[in-house]
Amino acid sequence: MKKILCAAAAFAVTAGLAACNGGTDFSAQTPVDDLKTATPIKHLVVIYGENVSFDHYYGTYPTATNPVGEPQFTAKAGTPAIRGFTPALLNNNPNLTNAANGTGVSNPFRLDRSQAATADMNHDYTAEQLAYDNGAADLFPKFTGTAETGGTGAFGTTGLVMGYYDGNTVTALWNYSQHFAMSDNAYSDQYGPSTPGAINVIAGQTNGFVLGKSSFPGEFIDDGQGGLTLTGDIDPTGDPCSSTTDFGSFSGKNIGDLLNDQGVTWGWFEGGFSLSVMNSNGSTGCGRTTTSSVTNATKVDYIPHHQPFQYYASTANLKHLRPNSPNTIGIKGDQGNHQYDLTDFFAAVKAGNYPAVSFLKASGFQDAHAGYSDPLDEQTFVTEVINFLEQQPDWKSTAVLIVYDDSDGWYDHQFATVGNGSFDATVDQLTASGACGVKGTTAQADGVAGKGAVNGRCGPGARQPFLVVSPYAKANFVDHTLITQASVVRFIEDNWLGGKRLGGGSFDASSGSIDGMFDFAGGAKNPVLFLDTDLGTPVTTPSSDLPK
Amino acid sequence: MGPVSGKIAGILCVLLAAGLLLRYAEGASFRDPGMNPHPVALQRPHDGPLSAVALLGQRIFHDPSLSASGKMSCASCHSPEHAYGPPDGEPVRHGGADGSLQGNRAVPSLRYLYRTPNFSIGPDVNEAENVDLNKLAVQSQGTVRAVKTAGSVAAPAMVPQGGLFWDGRANTFQTQAMGPLLNPAEMANRDTAEAAARLRKAPYVESFAQLFGPGVLKDPARLLDEAMFAVARYEVEDPSFHPYSSKYDYWLEGKAALTEEELRGLRLFDDKTKANCAGCHVDRPGRDGLPPLFTDFQYEALGVPRNADLSVDRDLRYYDLGLCGPQRADIRGQTQYCGMFRTPSLRNTSTRKVFFHNGAYHDLKDVLAFYAFRDVQPDKIYPKGPDGRVRKFDDVPAAYLGNVDVMDAPLDRKPGQLPAMSDADIRDIIAFLKTLDDGYRPEQLAAR
Repeated sequence: MKKILCAAAAFAVTAGLAACNGGTDFSAQTPVDDLKTATPIKHLVVIYGENVSFDHYYGTYPTATNPVGEPQFTAKAGTPAIRGFTPALLNNNPNLTNAANGTGVSNPFRLDRSQAATADMNHDYTAEQLAYDNGAADLFPKFTGTAETGGTGAFGTTGLVMGYYDGNTVTALWNYSQHFAMSDNAYSDQYGPSTPGAINVIAGQTNGFVLGKSSFPGEFIDDGQGGLTLTGDIDPTGDPCSSTTDFGSFSGKNIGDLLNDQGVTWGWFEGGFSLSVMNSNGSTGCGRTTTSSVTNATKVDYIPHHQPFQYYASTANLKHLRPNSPNTIGIKGDQGNHQYDLTDFFAAVKAGNYPAVSFLKASGFQDAHAGYSDPLDEQTFVTEVINFLEQQPDWKSTAVLIVYDDSDGWYDHQFATVGNGSFDATVDQLTASGACGVKGTTAQADGVAGKGAVNGRCGPGARQPFLVVSPYAKANFVDHTLITQASVVRFIEDNWLGGKRLGGGSFDASSGSIDGMFDFAGGAKNPVLFLDTDLGTPVTTPSSDLPK
Repeated sequence: MGPVSGKIAGILCVLLAAGLLLRYAEGASFRDPGMNPHPVALQRPHDGPLSAVALLGQRIFHDPSLSASGKMSCASCHSPEHAYGPPDGEPVRHGGADGSLQGNRAVPSLRYLYRTPNFSIGPDVNEAENVDLNKLAVQSQGTVRAVKTAGSVAAPAMVPQGGLFWDGRANTFQTQAMGPLLNPAEMANRDTAEAAARLRKAPYVESFAQLFGPGVLKDPARLLDEAMFAVARYEVEDPSFHPYSSKYDYWLEGKAALTEEELRGLRLFDDKTKANCAGCHVDRPGRDGLPPLFTDFQYEALGVPRNADLSVDRDLRYYDLGLCGPQRADIRGQTQYCGMFRTPSLRNTSTRKVFFHNGAYHDLKDVLAFYAFRDVQPDKIYPKGPDGRVRKFDDVPAAYLGNVDVMDAPLDRKPGQLPAMSDADIRDIIAFLKTLDDGYRPEQLAAR
């Protein structure tokens, strides 16, 4: 389609909107399909979910319990093995046998679909390191199992951190895995919570943090080189929705800067970002909320510390300006500056202006974060997005990545040998007190200032699910290459930017490649898979609902 | 979302089949001043078959074999026939191994708790507001009077809110349900192990292994957690815990008419200078149609009189201070909250025979008289001491008297002033409160 429609869109833009944007000539934008790419992928959509460890969703894959009355899952013949729970891990888990876990000692146990709403775990930088216990992965109940509660119907138990879902709850993801490709060796770049995960998937670098204001410890550390590294959650400076007591920003570059240099269209689309919309419950502005019918809890839609581009002066849209038009979304010069509401993504695609690179972040209640969201609301979000994209003409050149920002602290048995060390006397506790790795032996990447190795980037961190849904994805395939969140940055660079790297100590240079999950030579042959947005089971005709 | 329950849908189908009848009903709604002139669509919870876990929870909820006496189940105190509140007028229940121990607090209803937020202390968030019901009530009566100013924003105050129990000490149904199971004056299991042992003897024990894996039977703590979660799931899923079938709900939807007396009561309920009940007992649906729960989930020290019928209250050194103890232990130092208890929902309140945290009152008339006379004629409410003086706020220690609410109407008056409500007002308010009882059948409309 593109050529004709893009030309038409460009015409509409020049005719109707150039005047109101200080004369920016959007028609100069190269149509997305004409941008030179290293693979047949012309559109990358990253669904960036919240807080799930690999075993929490895939520990028993591909075997589901299938209780009567729940969505059923039966694996296809020939489904490859994954690195999930062995009988020993299920029945004599080190978290059961290590008495240091106290009353929380537990084997992994099944969470029923009725237990989709659970309490949240501890997912701090140090707590996660302590849980992994120098690779033994046997202190989760003790260090990350300190649960906070969710809504009135949430499930909690002292060993809750050992709970896992199966294909009767995360049915859609298991079905995507059956038809497309996944990794069982994907990790966050470093231990810790959401904001470091959000920053790493666009910059591969959490050093270069610039403090605005802070009211409690644990958000960042002295990097040992006179700068700061972000290790915790903090809001972006200058965003009107940010906390007034805890905020900061980043120096350095992110992938958006490189895409802008090359004229590649891109955007971060997040639920609740538009401050002018009023939800059906009357909430609006930064306080826009949605009540989940799964958790019965009400959660704010836009969570500032999940929006990474807001931390960088070059890519921020601090005033949450609306796009000039659906036809200019993602194009350099649009007043939204690549930062948009989730609904803008669907508007752009429908207008024939499907960006090359799109990051999607659900509204709070659908982002999968335990405590206020849940896998069933997440499933609705993910399936609505993918069902929609699969019906677009450009599906044939699309790859959807389902990636997570952190593990929430949920148990995962697979420890990744430290690839990037850190030696802060207080916060690093992985291999020994004050150590993540062996000083002088373990590699330790530079900070943004280029003055040498910095602390606060201990990783890879916890293992998380990582799926590729695309006509070019290998079918029912499990890749074992070690990859991280920065592998997303690397793929974008390799595909659109001739392999250019961010530099400044970014993990993009050292991260693994996700190419193993694709079969680019074989053509766009993997058929679409429409899923029921409530049950996650295959359907022939998808619903036309879209997330808000 | 199932905005309309199956039962009502059925009724509607009948009405639709008889088109004339429907037209009559619509016509009536425009003529009848008791009808809500601006009906709203209420969002009731999804009403599907119970999950396997909820069905398990239902059996646990009704199982007396889980108590030390073998006679007490959740349903003994939270009577399904009494809106999951106390079955009679006993101020607090008796329980324990031989059923002789008296509890400390009145039994709260388990209805309409599912939307309770977690306990927090934070800024007072203004409720999303829809139609101004006070205005509507005035319109529908054709009278002119001052309306409640919707949207008047007070300075954000740091207020405790949310949580379950009278003191908000549990956030989830699961932890709430655990309380009575282990309380010596209730189901009286000595510890987790004893409660788990009782569960392992239950006829439904195999369901646990099926749903949560065989390991659960070997892990007493988790077995108990799963069991109480199942109870929680029953409370979340079963429509009987949130039926929204009151006359007021149907009035909101334009399917029932309030009588003149009920409308007067609603107006008083909303009147900021009179009863001002809606100041805490929120009576408006959310903009998205979430039915009102008649509570703001916040905490108040009202200074309810001490109840001599409670054995704990016979110890003169004993005070039930709500948020700061003795049952709740985590914020005892926050003495500015001593004496505060959670504002309960008023749905089905007229069916209760026990009111306030200590069960001091047994009749709604007396409850409303407490609000009317507490400050203007305290001698009507509190006993006299040996010195002949009225012992106002006799259940609040002197150090915490400053916590008692004397700001919000109707509790802002001085001795000698007129009470905020007359006897006639109280009758009208009670008539309105009765419209909050579940089980109203809107087809009564057709018979009017």
